[in-house]
Amino acid sequence: MKILSLITNILPTQTVFAHCDIPCGIYDPYPAQIAAHSVIRMTQLLQEAEKDSDDVAREHKVARFTKVKEDHAEIAKHEVRVIWGDYFKEEHIKEYPQLHELVFNIMKAASKARQNIDMTAAEELLSKIQEFSEIFYKTKGVTPVRIKSLYPTEGEMVVYK
Amino acid sequence: MLLSKFEISGHSMMPTYKPGDKVLISSVPYLFKKPQVGDIIVFKKEKITLIKRISKITANGIIVEGDNLEDTLSSVSMGIISRKDVLGKVILRL
Repeated sequence: MKILSLITNILPTQTVFAHCDIPCGIYDPYPAQIAAHSVIRMTQLLQEAEKDSDDVAREHKVARFTKVKEDHAEIAKHEVRVIWGDYFKEEHIKEYPQLHELVFNIMKAASKARQNIDMTAAEELLSKIQEFSEIFYKTKGVTPVRIKSLYPTEGEMVVYK
Repeated sequence: MLLSKFEISGHSMMPTYKPGDKVLISSVPYLFKKPQVGDIIVFKKEKITLIKRISKITANGIIVEGDNLEDTLSSVSMGIISRKDVLGKVILRL
């Protein structure tokens, strides 16, 4: 066992990819941001639907908006997980040590936004994904900038210049 | 490739190997025996080193797929792997 241990310690470690893709190297936090905006929008629509006096119409709207909110919160989580698990490497974590905790908090915020009609949680989800996006773009060597989105949420999108 | 140490990146071999796991690879076993269905191999594809499990061996080459079937593409999508592109098989998990 000592010989084996010695050999394995001497050998340099190379990376081998067990990726879902080739890997293609195509990663972008943009879809996660769109999903987070969708969660905010569905939360807005759910808050409006609560005021609808027609029971049938209200229930129908609530069902539809809730489904879309559920779906997009899950999309946001998936998109962030893929970038975190497949794109970010150890050197990125060294440069941005907050990354693991940030991803953990994104997962929690997305779950909270799903569980309730909670605008604070939905906005927190977007805010944290924006922070995640800024880190992603910085690791790509470009400067992230926030621009006003053209969505009804009127929130911002993180892009790069 | 007599003996090489690799660290896994990606999820397609879960639950067998998760990201960060290290494995020893060797081509020596294939000097005595042909690759077999079920072997976990490391191979080159478009200059990228990949790890997958052999799911089928055909006259044209080797078909591979990840153990995490919800998160992998088989070589139906990747193209058939040529025997000469196989660097070795996993002989030990570290």
